[in-house]
Amino acid sequence: MLALILRRAGSSLLTLVLVSMLVFVGLEAMPGDACTAHLGRDGKGAVLEACRERMGLNRPAAERFIEWGGRLLQGDLGTSMQRDKPIAEIVGWRLRNTIVLSAVAVLVGIPLAIFLGVIAGLRRDGSLDHLISSLSIIAMTIPEFISATILILIFAVSLGWTSGVVTIGYKAPVMELVSASILPAATLTLILAAHIMRMVRSSVIDVLDSDYVLMARLKGVPRRQIVWRHVVPNSLLPAISVIGLTIAWLLGGVVIVESVFNYPGLGRLAVDAVGDRDLPLVQAIALLFGLTYVVTNLLSDLVALFLNPRLRTFRA
Amino acid sequence: MTAARVFTLALLLGTIAFAGTPAMAEKLFKRANDLSYGGKESLDPISPNRFYEVNDMIYSRLIRQDDNGEPAPELAVSWSANATATEWTFKLQDGVKFHDGSDFDAADVKYTIERIKDPALESPVASVLDFIDHVEVVDPLTAKFVLSKPHSGLPLLLMDYRVRMIRDGSGAEVKKTGIGTGPFKLESYDPEGQTVLVANENYWEGRPKLDKVIFTAIPDSEARNQAMLGGQLNYNTLTLDQIPLYKDNSGFIVQNYPAGGWFGLVFRTDTAPYTDPKIRKAMRIAVDRTEMMKLMVGDGNGMTGCDQPVKANDPFRAKLDCPPDIEGAKKLLAEAGYPDGIDIEVHTADLEPGMVQFAEVYQQQVAKAGIRAKITLAPSDGYWDDVWMKAPVAMTSWSARPADQILNEAYRSGSSWNESYYANKSYDEELDKARASIDLNEARKHYQEAQRILFEEGGTFIPYQQNGLRVLTADVTGLKPLDEDYIRWHLVDMADQ
Repeated sequence: MLALILRRAGSSLLTLVLVSMLVFVGLEAMPGDACTAHLGRDGKGAVLEACRERMGLNRPAAERFIEWGGRLLQGDLGTSMQRDKPIAEIVGWRLRNTIVLSAVAVLVGIPLAIFLGVIAGLRRDGSLDHLISSLSIIAMTIPEFISATILILIFAVSLGWTSGVVTIGYKAPVMELVSASILPAATLTLILAAHIMRMVRSSVIDVLDSDYVLMARLKGVPRRQIVWRHVVPNSLLPAISVIGLTIAWLLGGVVIVESVFNYPGLGRLAVDAVGDRDLPLVQAIALLFGLTYVVTNLLSDLVALFLNPRLRTFRA
Repeated sequence: MTAARVFTLALLLGTIAFAGTPAMAEKLFKRANDLSYGGKESLDPISPNRFYEVNDMIYSRLIRQDDNGEPAPELAVSWSANATATEWTFKLQDGVKFHDGSDFDAADVKYTIERIKDPALESPVASVLDFIDHVEVVDPLTAKFVLSKPHSGLPLLLMDYRVRMIRDGSGAEVKKTGIGTGPFKLESYDPEGQTVLVANENYWEGRPKLDKVIFTAIPDSEARNQAMLGGQLNYNTLTLDQIPLYKDNSGFIVQNYPAGGWFGLVFRTDTAPYTDPKIRKAMRIAVDRTEMMKLMVGDGNGMTGCDQPVKANDPFRAKLDCPPDIEGAKKLLAEAGYPDGIDIEVHTADLEPGMVQFAEVYQQQVAKAGIRAKITLAPSDGYWDDVWMKAPVAMTSWSARPADQILNEAYRSGSSWNESYYANKSYDEELDKARASIDLNEARKHYQEAQRILFEEGGTFIPYQQNGLRVLTADVTGLKPLDEDYIRWHLVDMADQ
């Protein structure tokens, strides 16, 4: 078991190194460099040379990559060009805000998805199942920026129940963030819940067809007990990896949702950083997204391994 | 109904009536800042990262524009020059106080103006005012500007939206304190969150009508529109494609005002075949400018021109006429040795919306005159470094500049922003004469002649200047459809709902 965990962790680490290389090479391959991007029209002659000197852009790319990686290992993400501040400080707050937003979405979305999925699975092909399933397909297929705009139009512009766009700063206390994140979290929840719900529904249906449920039914176990003791726990297992993937997807989704709602998180920062051509910051954020993706995947795999002994056999 | 119930009901109604009293309402004006400097927004008016939305409201200039763009008194009540335009004397408004209660006087003027030259500040205004040698304090309400060379246009350049007065010696802290003499004063400052301004009770033109102004950082333009539609903003700038969001909505007013930003196509006058003025003129006169503007920004959203880099409401803009002249262009090309038309390569990049389409419309327009333009799309990153001022024909983009500034910075022989490498002695002489003539009408004649020379033989094609667009909630009053630095913020009010 331990060897397996270590091996999975090792391959995750390798993935991260590859991701950081890709990010670096990608930014290198772009025309211009951090200095021409940052200085724009002023970037010529002596000013440009001075900037390149300051950022160390005159040295070979490989050398810079090794140095960047070395500092990264010491926890130094570098300095933002546009903001003139350590990247760790800028990113830290936004990361907290994005975690708050994602946590609200996950805490509402996952129980909701499981609940709806179980109901739909139990009432397979009934009218309730049709309703839930069609709604989930709609929720899945509408892009975030459209559902976000629709939610704003309904709840902020027409009904006036809540404010549409978040107007608090990035250092706001967590409780204020939670109340500001109602609409953005709802937008994320829509898609997140739809994906997980469909997975739960199909695995509930599989489990209902299984021999042990048939056996339980023949033994006369009450339906309520069959559902809660046998069907739900077993149908959640396959859903775990989907939940892991969906949480990782959430980080991509927040880029759009945070921009539309002006939520001061990592996603909006990513868009701003690209707009400002703040390449060191873009690099750091891309890596952070990569890290989250890898870590959530690793965690969901490990949880599945822990809960399902059958998966552990591929040890050889 | 029991007595107790009646009493409770009366109390309830009374509370509602009291809460609804409109006279008590605070007049709160909500704006957004676009965070274009990523949180480095500085309250120092001359900083390269100036927090322009806020600075316009908390500082004042010596001279501002009236609604027609002509110089009008602000902190200076009057000004005059000596016979050679090398010394300018400004009389200052009496009784003006800074937000911290200290008096505004000539020492503050001297400090503000001389500080602009400090190379450590890297202020973009330094080159605009580099002809000012020093400022003398004659008495507390009189300041004398001593120039290193004659300049009759000094009052016009002092209308620059960045030349705003700060307190003597406050250079180090002004970027955080924002202490000026403007109609609003800073209450709190957070360019990445909310910045709050309150009315300056002692403002010398009278207390502003608004009580409070709140700026919220909203970098995304879609999000700003959502906030505007949802009633979270009273003021927002727009792009052309966003007009339909507000067009038929009685809750909003869309304003369209002369702003003066422009796209241009630059032909390098030092590179063959564009060394020949005939070819340069042919490249420009073949275009139907009215049609081009209509296709690019739509009717009424701009002002066509004849290659003047000067905005529509600038007092020094030349009045020129330039209808499309296909035959004339063909004739000029033939005279220059291209009777069968000419092949050119136009470089552009997707840097700003419309920059690629501009080249495409140009390509179609000039085809009729036998000019076969090939469009080369260069990468946006590094465009200003690799293509602009390097390729023989390349797109450019400018925001509005006063006539004297743009004509000197971008067309005078050897100037640092001379993108067309234009060098013409008689053009330079017109600018020198303009600067040396005390009489504004005399100066106007020379500036206009300089623009006429540019149309006749310059290398830059400028078909139109684009208007600015903003949206206001319908309850906003006293805000004229003029460019941002023309707005008199102390007159802006909100109607009671």
